[in-house]
Amino acid sequence: MEKLIKELQIKIVDVLNLPDVQPEEIKRDEQLVGGKLGIDSIDVLEMVIMIEKDYGVKIDSRELGVKVFASLKTLAEYIHANTSELPH
Amino acid sequence: MTLVTKGLAEVKVHIIGMGIVTALGIGRAPNSDALLKNLTGIGPLSLIPTAAGRPLPVGEVACPDGGDDLPRTHQLARLTAEQAMADAKGAPDAVVMGVTTGGLLTTESLLKQKARDPQLYCRHATGSVAEDIARKYGCHGPALTVSTACSSGAAALKIALEMIRSGSARRVLAGGADSLCRLTYHGFNALQLIDPEGARPLDAERRGMSVGEGAAMLLLAANEPDRAVAEILGGGLSCDAYHPAAPHPQGEGALAAMQAALADAGISPSDIDYVNLHGTGTIDNDISEARAIHALFGSKKPVLSSVKGACGHTLAAAGAIEAVLSAVCISDGMVPANTGCRHPDPELKLVPLLQPVQKQVDTVLSNSFGFGGNNAALVLGACGKHTRKTIKKDAQPMAILGHTCITGIGRTRTTMDRLALGKGCAGILNSAEIAANLSPAQVRRLKRFPRLVLSLAVDAHKSAGEHGTPGAVFLGTGWGALSETADFLERLFETDEQFPSPTDFIGSVHNAAAGQIAMQFKATGANLTMTGGDYSFEQALTVAGLMSGDELDGFLVLAADENHPKLSRLFDPSVAEAACPADGGGALYLKRGVHASAPTIRPLFFESSQNNSNVLHNLSKAIGKQRSFDERYGVILAGLPAGCRRTAAIQLKTLLDMTGFSGVVIDYRKFTGEFASASAVAVVMAVDFLRKGNIPSPLCDGSEAVLGIKGVLVIGLGDYFTAIEVMNP
Repeated sequence: MEKLIKELQIKIVDVLNLPDVQPEEIKRDEQLVGGKLGIDSIDVLEMVIMIEKDYGVKIDSRELGVKVFASLKTLAEYIHANTSELPH
Repeated sequence: MTLVTKGLAEVKVHIIGMGIVTALGIGRAPNSDALLKNLTGIGPLSLIPTAAGRPLPVGEVACPDGGDDLPRTHQLARLTAEQAMADAKGAPDAVVMGVTTGGLLTTESLLKQKARDPQLYCRHATGSVAEDIARKYGCHGPALTVSTACSSGAAALKIALEMIRSGSARRVLAGGADSLCRLTYHGFNALQLIDPEGARPLDAERRGMSVGEGAAMLLLAANEPDRAVAEILGGGLSCDAYHPAAPHPQGEGALAAMQAALADAGISPSDIDYVNLHGTGTIDNDISEARAIHALFGSKKPVLSSVKGACGHTLAAAGAIEAVLSAVCISDGMVPANTGCRHPDPELKLVPLLQPVQKQVDTVLSNSFGFGGNNAALVLGACGKHTRKTIKKDAQPMAILGHTCITGIGRTRTTMDRLALGKGCAGILNSAEIAANLSPAQVRRLKRFPRLVLSLAVDAHKSAGEHGTPGAVFLGTGWGALSETADFLERLFETDEQFPSPTDFIGSVHNAAAGQIAMQFKATGANLTMTGGDYSFEQALTVAGLMSGDELDGFLVLAADENHPKLSRLFDPSVAEAACPADGGGALYLKRGVHASAPTIRPLFFESSQNNSNVLHNLSKAIGKQRSFDERYGVILAGLPAGCRRTAAIQLKTLLDMTGFSGVVIDYRKFTGEFASASAVAVVMAVDFLRKGNIPSPLCDGSEAVLGIKGVLVIGLGDYFTAIEVMNP
């Protein structure tokens, strides 16, 4: 889980091109979308694609997205529970 | 045609010919028959092979391939133009089209095959559709292309309406066309905006739209009631200035466009018999539009329906297709159902028509909203039922309060200093320098083209000083967001169509950059992006001249193009010929009226030079009827695109011989480099010369030219012949 969280922090900063944000500044329990990181609905769609591509996990409805992208922790947990391609 | 004409005293704009192609059929009868039976044309995609998964439902046209290597959008447009022009004698004075995908379907296949011959891409440009139609019907006037995503078709009709009202055209062939392509099919899917069951607008279970394709063309004429199907009574444009892709949640922009259209038509909400909704079937659009409808009509709502459950969402064609269908409603006394909707969403509190009805319809409001928050609404009416005519007054001059440019070596000051030495400024300015006046958060998702555009807009406004903020935006671009388009397609192909980028899709539409300007300034007025190759700035200025009223707000007219290392060379024949890559653009912040010492700008002339032996004579007439060239202008800035340099050079020589002009002539692309919107930089040069009162001597063979009271003429040569004058007040 720890490894997955660290990996996601790096990927999110990279994929979303977040200016002036260090990976460790994405805290596991803080609000991921609409918070101080500046992540918005377009970023969510970009993360959806990244997660499907890198972990084979689909998040294909808005209702599901709201739950999964609540925080970095909920995202990591959802990927962990649904993927067969976890990093080792 | 000359763009300086006296307005007709009284104008009614009649629809005297119509053509339509949708997934429901080719021509008016198959479409109205299908709508009367509440049929849908939506079915699984077959046009483009898809790598994985079940093909999604789309509104695909059953259209035989016309051969001739003509891209599908062009074919669809030709089919409808043929219908619209069937009974017409003579050529239209202008062609105005809404197009967003243009030749993209063909381009995608070529890029996938890694085809490297620029000739194969010669019909990629969105503007090439209108030019093709203009050529086919012998139209010598402007062929304008508006590219505001899903509102393009309606915006094109509004522009055509204003051309006729202004007296600059008596007949205009206008409409929209878009074929399905990989970019839109996969792009909307990446945004999770596709309903896997097919579009069900306004339904409680709706999950999105169905992307469609099609075209519609309308022949509009000034005061020809005898042959008319219906009238276009008015049109309204607005911008949400809220979000790149999602509509304003309360429907503020949608409401503003509808109100503007009603005011333009001189009628009130209670006069509307039927509203043809934008009604795409996405969760957000339908909520936002429903709120706007509630705000406008209150408890007295007219009959409502969306046809997008029948035709799919035909993007740039939608507004024109729905204008044709609205005219059919009026002439046939039929209102189509909200096909696909079974259980209206209680949250919307709207009751759409679930079955078609036969009833008299005198007045229709038709909505079209698009990415970038670009909204358009049209009002159509039965002939003879509406008494109001438009009385056009002469518009105030456009005063230049702010101006700026970006070239390969820097911004305005750096560029003008270099020009003063007689040296060129062609090149590629680095991306960080372009964004120097923008915040990192603002530009994190913006690639080269939107950065150029937003940076220019911010600088032009700043250079004006204390003159308020812009309400309207008129952007020209030859090629639009090439980086976003290239990156989207590259990743689509690389990942076997699995993982295209939603961000690149949103950024790839031509009008995304103008949407960024709107958000920057909360500019909620008209927001139009024009795409006409080397004449894109000229198109934006022409449209600004027609659309910007005498209101006190400022407005931006600008043009920019990015040089993309792969695509520019393939698409733009002048770039292929260029010695070194170049890009940039120019922007003006304008207001109507006389403003102290501010120079004024006027679009004077816009005609095709192909098969138009009178073009030089007409240009000379348009200018010369005021005063002779020499008396009026101190310098001509001439645009000779490298792709047609030989023709352009002959045109220039003939013009100079004909007018006897003895002042300075500057071949400005030698200094700016080759890019489609180089003329926007030339206009900024013109303003700079006027401000200084002279032209630097190295630019006039060593002898400094004093302008005095004379102005500057900026002409465009090649396939089109354009003229813009920049004068001291």
